Amino acid sequence: MNAYSLWVMEFAAVPNYPQSGLIYGMHNQGTRKLPYCYIVIKGQGQLAMVDVGYNHKAHGEVLANTFGVRGWRPPHEVLGEIGIRPEDVGTIFITHAHFDHMGNIEDFPNATFYLQERELSKWVWTMSLPRRFRWLMLGIDTADIMRAVDLARQKRLVCVEGDRQNVLPGIDLHAAFDTHTWGSMYVTVRNDLAANSQSSWVFCGDLAYTQENLRGHDPHDPEYIPVGLATCSQFNLVMTAEEMVKSTGGDITRVVPPHEERLKDLFPSRITKAGLRITELALADGDPSQVR
Amino acid sequence: MTTIEVLDDATARYVLESQRCFEDLKQVASQLAGLLVLAAAGSKEALPDHPALESARDIFREANDALRRARPTARAQKHYAHLARAAAAIGTALSQIGGALDVDRILIPLRAGYTELEHAADSLPGFEKVAYERACCGFRIAQ
Repeated sequence: MNAYSLWVMEFAAVPNYPQSGLIYGMHNQGTRKLPYCYIVIKGQGQLAMVDVGYNHKAHGEVLANTFGVRGWRPPHEVLGEIGIRPEDVGTIFITHAHFDHMGNIEDFPNATFYLQERELSKWVWTMSLPRRFRWLMLGIDTADIMRAVDLARQKRLVCVEGDRQNVLPGIDLHAAFDTHTWGSMYVTVRNDLAANSQSSWVFCGDLAYTQENLRGHDPHDPEYIPVGLATCSQFNLVMTAEEMVKSTGGDITRVVPPHEERLKDLFPSRITKAGLRITELALADGDPSQVR
Repeated sequence: MTTIEVLDDATARYVLESQRCFEDLKQVASQLAGLLVLAAAGSKEALPDHPALESARDIFREANDALRRARPTARAQKHYAHLARAAAAIGTALSQIGGALDVDRILIPLRAGYTELEHAADSLPGFEKVAYERACCGFRIAQ
């Protein structure tokens, strides 16, 4: 029994991204495709997402021309491929506050956003440090903070402090403090709705970029290797990887990094006319496939 | 294909001299916006004596000094005008902070100021709204 349908929706991609940015220590070992994706969770009368991508009006041209990001399409088009409209999304979990994960909040006018309070409060603290600490502000867009003010005024921003269970039925938020960012979090979907779930999925944001972060280079002798970029602690990233894998009963294929191109090798998927991939992780009972 | 504009020497000098001012104003805007999010979301961290505010006032003073010293060329006039309007609006936002963080009173001039900064960034090369180079996607492709 599945309570939710789960899809990974690609909205842009970098065709050739250095592996060293994704997997700690992989210097001078070539590139791979880096898709940009958000997650759709549909079922139990709910429509939710994990992250919302970036604001093309603000960043699209620079990202396309300077950083090789290709193929960005707006949420109404990306979500339209599975019959969903952005205005129908009611709940959005922001794993962390980098512009490519929370930059597009204005395209979801009816959603309530969940974000760790620490992600905001540590930003503010960081911003009060002298200029020589500005590396700590990487990936932050001031305009996103402005938009977050509006969300909060409209009572559509929920600042979470630590873990929270059953934000929606069977959906839990887990703090991963001082990892990729100060207040990162990951989202667990217990798809059988059981407290001691046998069907858990983890949506990890940038706590892992690829499967190698979760199993190392040799699947027969697994190890955790952290991502290539962390504002905070690689140690905490490794320990969080253990938590995430354990929460799926040890099945790393159920820990879903939204930047992992090879999800297509594990789950059914299709390419849209715009050249973007939709990967179908699970179907709620009675839901039709969107990829076959 | 990207078109790269070649600036004259005086304008290039202006760009280099005013980058810091731009960055400082952006930082002040970010500090204020961050505090407003916390205030609007009901965080206990959002207090009018938050250390970020003292830092914001110091940085704002430095940005204003730099603005006064700037020597914009004809090519840079538009940029300079946006920067000056940004400083005025952000200064107004800072001055609205009293015994409490009144989100609505501060947000209006703050947003106006940040919009001016965005226009400034769009009107001359060399001014980044986000430090992409240091972001997750920061892999610069060959031009």
